[in-house]
Order: sequence, then C-alpha cells, then structure tokens
Amino acid sequence: MSSVSSLFLKTRYHSVNLVKLLKQQSTLKIIFTILFAVCFEIGIFMLFIDSFEYLGALGGIGLIIIDKLFALFFFGMGFMLVTSGIISSFSTIYRSEEIPFLMVRPFPVSQIVIYKFFESTGLSSWAFFFIIIPFVAAYGYHENITTAFALWNLLFAIPFLVICSGIGTAFVLVMVRWFPLGKYLKYLLVGLGIMLVLLLVYYIKQYSYNSDSADLNLASLLPGFRVSSHPLLPSQWVSEGIAALTHGEWFRGFMFWMLVVSTAILVCIIIECFGANIFYDGWQRLAGSSSNKSRPPEMLVWLQNTLSLFPHDIRAIVMKDIRTFLRDPVQWSQVLIFFGLLALYFSNLRTFKYHTFPENWRNTVAFLNVFSVSAVMCSLGSRFIYPQLSLEGQGFWFLGLSPTKMSRILLTKFITSLLGMLFVSVGLMFLSSRMLNATPLVTWITILLASAISCAVCGLSTGLGAIYLDINQRNPTAIVSGFGGTLNLILSLGFMLAAILPFGMVFHQNFVHKMNQHYMLLLLIMAGLWLIVLTVLTVCLPLHLGCKALVRREY
Amino acid sequence: MIEISHLTRMFGSFEAVHDMSLSIPAGELFCFLGPNGAGKTTTIKMLTGLLRPTSGSARICGLDIQENPVEVKKKIGYIPDMPFLYERLTATEFFRFTADLYDINSDIIESRCEESFKLFGIYDYRNMLVKELSHGIRQRLIYSATFLHQPEVLFIDEPLVGLDPYSIRLIKDLLKEKTRSGMSIFLTTHILAVAEDIADRIGIIFQGHLIAVGTLKELLAINGSCRNLEDIFLRLTGGNMPSDGTINKGI
Repeated sequence: MSSVSSLFLKTRYHSVNLVKLLKQQSTLKIIFTILFAVCFEIGIFMLFIDSFEYLGALGGIGLIIIDKLFALFFFGMGFMLVTSGIISSFSTIYRSEEIPFLMVRPFPVSQIVIYKFFESTGLSSWAFFFIIIPFVAAYGYHENITTAFALWNLLFAIPFLVICSGIGTAFVLVMVRWFPLGKYLKYLLVGLGIMLVLLLVYYIKQYSYNSDSADLNLASLLPGFRVSSHPLLPSQWVSEGIAALTHGEWFRGFMFWMLVVSTAILVCIIIECFGANIFYDGWQRLAGSSSNKSRPPEMLVWLQNTLSLFPHDIRAIVMKDIRTFLRDPVQWSQVLIFFGLLALYFSNLRTFKYHTFPENWRNTVAFLNVFSVSAVMCSLGSRFIYPQLSLEGQGFWFLGLSPTKMSRILLTKFITSLLGMLFVSVGLMFLSSRMLNATPLVTWITILLASAISCAVCGLSTGLGAIYLDINQRNPTAIVSGFGGTLNLILSLGFMLAAILPFGMVFHQNFVHKMNQHYMLLLLIMAGLWLIVLTVLTVCLPLHLGCKALVRREY
Repeated sequence: MIEISHLTRMFGSFEAVHDMSLSIPAGELFCFLGPNGAGKTTTIKMLTGLLRPTSGSARICGLDIQENPVEVKKKIGYIPDMPFLYERLTATEFFRFTADLYDINSDIIESRCEESFKLFGIYDYRNMLVKELSHGIRQRLIYSATFLHQPEVLFIDEPLVGLDPYSIRLIKDLLKEKTRSGMSIFLTTHILAVAEDIADRIGIIFQGHLIAVGTLKELLAINGSCRNLEDIFLRLTGGNMPSDGTINKGI
C-alpha cells in the first residue's frame, strides 16, 4: 500500500468514526441540520430564480448579463476558491500538528503534501458546492435546459475546484519557501504596494478614458465581464464547455473538459513536484523564522494605558485579542485585502462616473455597495469572529480559572470585534455615499444598515462561536467548516438579506410606482423598526445562549 | 484550606472519582498519586472549578467552589501538565495579561515581573513570543505567572514535566518554601521520588477510589513488607481493590 493510500485509509477511518459519532447525536439535531440545509438551498435557488427573472425583465442589458453571468460566476467562484485555498492550505500544510507526526514516518514528503492538498481542497470546497448547486439549478430552470446540464456542471466543477485550490496551495508553497523575511519583507511589501497603486491608477485612467460619457453602458456597470471572459482563464473554459455540452456541441465540450482535466492533473503534478523539492525547506524556514527577532517586551503600551479606564480583566482580554490579531498575518492580511479592495473601489466610484447616473441608479449602486460590504462582513465574521473562542482552545483553562465571569469574556469579545467591524463598515459606507453623491436619506440608511449588520454579524458569530465551541480543534478552517460555522454563515447572510431587502424594496417601489413621500416615509420607518427588532434579537439571543453554554461547559 | 466531601464524578456510566473525602490544612504539600486514568486530573479539575462534580462538594479556604467560583479563583492557582499559553503574546505581555485578569495593581506589575522572571531564569526571554519558547521555558513562565497573584492554594498537575535539573531543584525548593509560608499545595505526579522528597502527606487514587492517605512513614508502617513508596504504590495499584473496599489510611 502506498503512503498516500494509507493516509486516505486513515481519512476513511475518520469518516467512519464521524458517522458513528453522528449516530450518537440527537435525531432532532440531525433532522434540524438536514432540514436547515435543504431550506437554505431552496431559498438560494428561489433567490437566483428571482434574480434571473428580474434581469430577463430588464431586456437588453439584462439578457446580456444573463448570457455572461455563467463566466462571471465561475470567475468569481474561482477567485474565492484560490483565496480560500491559500488560507486553508497554509493552516493545513504548515500549521497542522499532524505534519511533524507524518514527517517522521517513512512517507515521501511529496505524498504528504499531496494528501494535505486534497484535505485542504475538501475543507475549502463545501461552500463552493453549497452555492453552485442552487445557482446551476436556477440557471437551468430559467433557461429551460435539460437535466443533463447539472451533470456537465459536476464534471467540470470537480477539476475546476482542484485547479483553483491547487493554485492557492502552490502559491503558499512558493511564498513560504522564498518569501523574504525581516527587512527584505518590508522592502518587498513597500514595492508591491507601490506597484499595486500604479497598476490601479493606470487601469482607472485607461478605464475612464474609454468611458468618458455618462451613458449607462454594460462595461461601466460590471467591468468584471471583460476580465472573466478571458480565453486563458479556466473559468472561461468551464463556462464555455458547459454551454457547448448543453447545446449538444459534444466535440467542443469534450475538448474544454479535457483542457480543464489536463490542467487539473498538471496542477497536481506541480504540487507534488513542489512538495518533493521545496516543502521541506519552506517548513524548516517557517520553523526558524522568528526566533531571532528583536521586539519590545510589550506591544501597544499606549493603548494599554488608555484602556486603564476599563476594568482590568476586560482590558486584559481586549489587549490579548488585539495583539494576537496584529501578530497573525493570515488574519490582518485578509481583512486588509477584502476591505482594502472595497475601499479602492468605492474611492474610485467617481472615476467610473457612477455619481452622474440618475438618482434611482445611484440608489441601486448604493444598495449594491451595502450588499458587497455586508457580504464581506459575513465572510470575515464567519472566518475570524466565529472561531475566536474555539481558537482560545486549550487556553480556556486559563480564562476559566481566572476570577472573571464567562459573560464578561463573551461580551468583551463581542464589543472588541464590533468596534473593529463598525469602524470599517461605517467608514466604507460613508465613503461610498460621498462618492456616489447619494442623498442624505440614502446615506443615513446605508450607514444604519452597515451598523446593524455589523452588530448582527458580531453577535451571531460570537454567540454561535460560544455555543458550538470546539476547544480541541486548532485548525481555523476546520472550525469554520463545521456545523456551527456553516450555520453562522447562513444566518449572517440570511440576516443581511432580511435587513437590506425591505429598504431596497421601498426605494424600488418608489421608483416604479412613484409613491407618495409620506407613504414612503412610513414604509421606511416600518423597515427601520423591523431592522431594529431583528438586530436586537440577532445580537441578544445568540449572546445569551452562548453565555449559558459557556457557563454550563466543562473544560 | 481544602475540604473535599464525598466528591464523585461520573462520565456517562463511568465513575472517574468515587465518593472522595479529604482535608488538606494550610501549609501542607499533598502529593496525589495514581496510575494513568485513575482520576487525578479529574479531581484537580473539580477542585479548580473546571469540572462540575456529579455529587459531593469541595471547599477552598472555606468557600464552596460551585457557589463562589469567582472568589475561590482569586485564591487558587493551577498549573496543568501541558499548559496552553497564548502563543502570539510575548512573555512580558502574558505576564501582564495574567496580572490584569487578577486585577493586580499596575504600579507593582513591572517590578514583580522583573523579580519573577529573574527568579525563574526567563528574564532573557521576556521579549520573545510564547510560541518561540521551549517547553521548559514555557513551564517556568506559567509558574512565574501563577505565583503572581500569591495564591493561598496551588494545584499542580505533574510539576516537573519537561524541566531541566536546575529548574526541578528550583521548583522543589520554591514549593517547600511556599508551604512554609502557609500555602497549601495539591500536586499530582508519576515521579514517586518527588513525592518521597517533598510531600508532607501522600494520597493514592486507583480506579477513582482514594485507597491510601498518610505520611510516607505512616504508609510504610501500614504496608509492612514494603521498603519504599514505589513498593507501596505497586502493591496497592497493581492488583484489585481491597476486597472490603476500605481505605488504607495512615491517619
């Protein structure tokens, strides 16, 4: 038996044991989980159907968008999978406690890396399949395509997943091996930053030159179409291949499938090659990277002194969390990338001439911006806030023994994450509104929405993180992929829709039916009340249940 | 200082600790021995409030751990065998974090930190992240942080795991000194020589039952044919429970 086979045998044993453990769980919990997942899938399916119908009803632009949407969807999913692959493979390949165990066994290193790559791919794929299924079903239903369409999607989705996750893993292997450390890291970061800004300035100038009129053209609405349809992108091969097979162009479809599969195999070979040649050096480099660093005994002493106004136990937890966050590049770099990209996009809204659009379109863009900021908040909440209590891990004995109450610990974590989230989300919404020249009413509503969603995401993530606490798991990806993490993401996204849609509907109805201003104001007040009630419930209930779960829990 | 009364802990149908009663006065160093899985860590976790007893109670400094958890936690310290520390904090930050959790006056933290780090020989590591420290240095750091709030009762699970001979001597001397100044210490160990060396009294737990309690001399006297603690331990835990279920008590 090869080493990879024996490792997969271990995974099989794990799965069998997991099923046994699941059988010990209450039937009610399992039924609830399955029902919830099914309802979520149906809900997303209905949402996609509505979106397709809305776009179809728009005529010209809408039809073109639908036509291009498949390529854009796979492009977006591919980008997310690569990002997810980077995060998940770093923790799975370099941070896993299993690696030292495996490294002293008679396994070729390359096979360990390949095994870990597939494990990381599995961990980062659940959301992909969770979203792709309703999207594909809705697309097929809307376009009246045969059911074989779903099969073609599956045939393409698996190698596509391997390619994207593999790109992420290969990137991590190369970065860990050769990424400059120490002062060279600073020079590199500054250089990359300057390059990025120059590239963006060039792109924006080019773009504004090409679209100097204020006309509402498709490219100005979704610049991503041009990029996503590039013929060298695997996402384009996938969308072209599926379209070809659906229309009965078997040879062309098969050619694209072969192209995707052969690329996936190539990616696996590259990873195996990297595993054999650079993994060990990178692993060693990582292990010895920080031992000679000179640093002050304490970081952010000024903040510590400022926080002396607060009770000492709260200050202790806040300072610990801030220091831990700032010393974890995986955490702050992701926050920086996601919110930084949004900030760049928002600050360039005027370059894209969005502020010259009619008021209704500006409102639509403003609400779409709330959606984008909220979606990032939901994602970051699930990725960072939800697992923060579990990541205290074995450290809970320390907090558990200290003379402080669990409710204070939970509340401190909630408030710390909320302050960070509010600062960024409200700032972004303010920037977006200013750039769009939005009316004061829309500005305040978007800021209110961003604040409410920040509260809800932090409340849900902290509360559910306490309820589904897993102190034995050190891998954040595995914590996030669990039932609690999935539930948290689903509920956060559900809240986002439930919060934004009522306001969006009021503005849309006002545009379509030209509502009386008093009537519109009344509807907005009702939407505001709904938002307040929903937010209070979404914050208080999970925190209350989380606190009870922490008090009940034994360590 | 520690009053344990009919303490029992079940995990499902498995009884980890059975009806344990014990009293440890101020200034006593009590060594708790037992084979793997005998119930030592479960007992310590119940005494520190990390686990809830199925029945029975435990009082520390006169306070019930279940009824007054916060007050009790101010009076105790606990050092587990493999302590988890926050890896992305420096040693100094971890010390200050502990000080803030125990509401130690800010004015004295700095001097205590320096004093304690020098005592445990970790002053040169004060700027390093915990994740960069070796197991032995981490152990010394946790000792340093645990003594910070001057606990009246100290629980230690395997006090000498991963320590070098210098640190072992340091810890043993320190524990003796602390008991002389009135601190009660409850420690578990598999190193019987340590128990012989530093314990005022010894307790042996086997399959959740406290089967022997007393000073070394008393235990040797009761188990006449045994020459040392190892013989006593093997005799008492090598076979089955005494058929009558009685406890082999020195006192």
